Amino acid sequence: MKEKYKAPTIRDEKAFHNLALILMSILAIYCIVPFFLMVSISLSSEQALSSGGYSFWPKEFSTAAYSYMWAKRITIGRCYGLTILVTVVGTIGNLILTSLFAYPLSRKDFKLRNFFAFLVFFTVMFNGGMTASYIVWTRLFHIKNTIWAYILPGSLMGAMNVLMVRNYYNLNIPYAIIEAARIDGANDLRIYLGIMLPLSKPVMTTIGLFAALGYWNNWTSGLYYISDTKLFTIQVYLKKLMDNIAFLKTSDIAAESATLAYKSLPTEGARMAMAIVAILPMLLVYPFIQKELVKGMVVGGVKG
Amino acid sequence: METAMNAGSTKEFDDLLKKKKKSKKKADALRVFPLFLMMLPGLIYLVCNNYLPMFGILIAFKKVDFSIGILKSPWVGLKNFEFLFATKDATTMIRNTLLYNIVWIALGTVIAIFIALCMAEIANRPIAKVIQPVICFPSMVSAVILSYIVYGFLSTTYGFINNGILGGAKINFYATAKYWPLILTIVHFWQSSGQSSIIYMASIGGIDKGLYESARIDGATKMKQIVYITLPLLRPMIILMLLMAVGKIFNSDFGMFYQVPLNSGLIYSTTQTIDTYVYRALLEMNNVGMSSAASVFQAILGFILVVVSNAVVRKVDSDSALF
Repeated sequence: MKEKYKAPTIRDEKAFHNLALILMSILAIYCIVPFFLMVSISLSSEQALSSGGYSFWPKEFSTAAYSYMWAKRITIGRCYGLTILVTVVGTIGNLILTSLFAYPLSRKDFKLRNFFAFLVFFTVMFNGGMTASYIVWTRLFHIKNTIWAYILPGSLMGAMNVLMVRNYYNLNIPYAIIEAARIDGANDLRIYLGIMLPLSKPVMTTIGLFAALGYWNNWTSGLYYISDTKLFTIQVYLKKLMDNIAFLKTSDIAAESATLAYKSLPTEGARMAMAIVAILPMLLVYPFIQKELVKGMVVGGVKG
Repeated sequence: METAMNAGSTKEFDDLLKKKKKSKKKADALRVFPLFLMMLPGLIYLVCNNYLPMFGILIAFKKVDFSIGILKSPWVGLKNFEFLFATKDATTMIRNTLLYNIVWIALGTVIAIFIALCMAEIANRPIAKVIQPVICFPSMVSAVILSYIVYGFLSTTYGFINNGILGGAKINFYATAKYWPLILTIVHFWQSSGQSSIIYMASIGGIDKGLYESARIDGATKMKQIVYITLPLLRPMIILMLLMAVGKIFNSDFGMFYQVPLNSGLIYSTTQTIDTYVYRALLEMNNVGMSSAASVFQAILGFILVVVSNAVVRKVDSDSALF
């Protein structure tokens, strides 16, 4: 009797399953192999690199690149510290602004909520373009060569995030709770701090993670607004380092002085070592946050 | 007497009602005030970051002279746009932006669905818990790091491709435009294919397992299950993602086109997009007029496309429409 309900095993299902397994394993290897090239370069001696070029296995094992970085620890440390500062301040600011704005939008007794929701939403559809934005931030607010250049332009409050948090409030926090709290005499700030924030941890985590990722990886603000080397974050520092090399390699003028300048730059290995150090923190936290990130991609993928 | 009293009481009642209405209005204002206060930081930010630049569009219609200020700078009508479209740069950047986007959208959809089908198949295996994060990791790194990795492969003197694969050939990739459509396509899909498959994976995960069970009982092969169950059920999501991508067809990933080719001037013909042009015109050529003309062109076409594609989305699946 039981046999009757069991689905027949079909041979091509097994084949498909195995094929999928093999293909996805290959894809996973393909996705991480380039990182191994970086690691291998950073662990090779400079002589081996200049004679045989880059390879996936360090030819002459050497930690010279990392010693070089240790010697430069003050510069790199400052870049690192600034990156952390920008990420922390930006992420906290983003969460505060987003949730503070989303709460009134979720209040059903707030008549203007649709107007303000539209005000937010309109910025998704239409923007003034990068040039206008650059002129406003530099001519009106003078954020050139200040730390605010990393925090303010573009990324402090995302319109789609505001609407996402509002929807979360609407769907997951019954309006009756808010009304009950009001009857008990709680003011709006109290409701926001005591009810909305604690009850919206999942959505805040998602937004916070993406904001932090964005601030950590932000190098375009540096490109547009920062020329003071003291204000370089690790990404901007790496970008400038690559610029110097690209410039020296393409310029024919004064080849001799170019080689001289080239010598004073960090070695091939040292540069790769710095790039590794820049992604290291992400590599360390990624296993723990990847589930949240994936969840965010599903929600953010549809709208935004 | 009775009527008078009645009239009196109605009048009193009206007064009372009016008073109440007034006090209610006052109470309303008092009630709403803290809400406004809470929105204030966000509102200020929206004005500074989004609405002021919208007025900045006017810059595209002016001959900006910063010494006399933007407001006093003379109007020039559509001159900036005429100059822009008279240059060769304009056709190059629009062609590149559109071609890369069209190819990447088409190829990307196929790749993302294929990965999602495979991942859904092995979802129950423990190894899937490792594979999924790994294939999504490339999308976490910045364009700067990406440029280091790509440089590791393409560098003329040291690069892995010149030394490891071509055995000492000296192809100067950063000076040869014809390789870049392929290079950028590989880099793009290396970075984004894992992430872009997630949305389809989630949709496949939501399909009723009973459908597959009954199909198997009827003897449907795996291929038939995919063609007749999975893909038709994915169709609304595919259309939605396609339309949203079309809405952004005049935009490009700035880092991918600027930093990955190391801003090399020799390969602009295949790497220049509207976004990189806006930057280069503004900060490398100091030409505010051209830069703003290009960026306004992009913003307005983008707006039209978003509105149109949303209207289509609404027809297909009104729940998924943005507005």
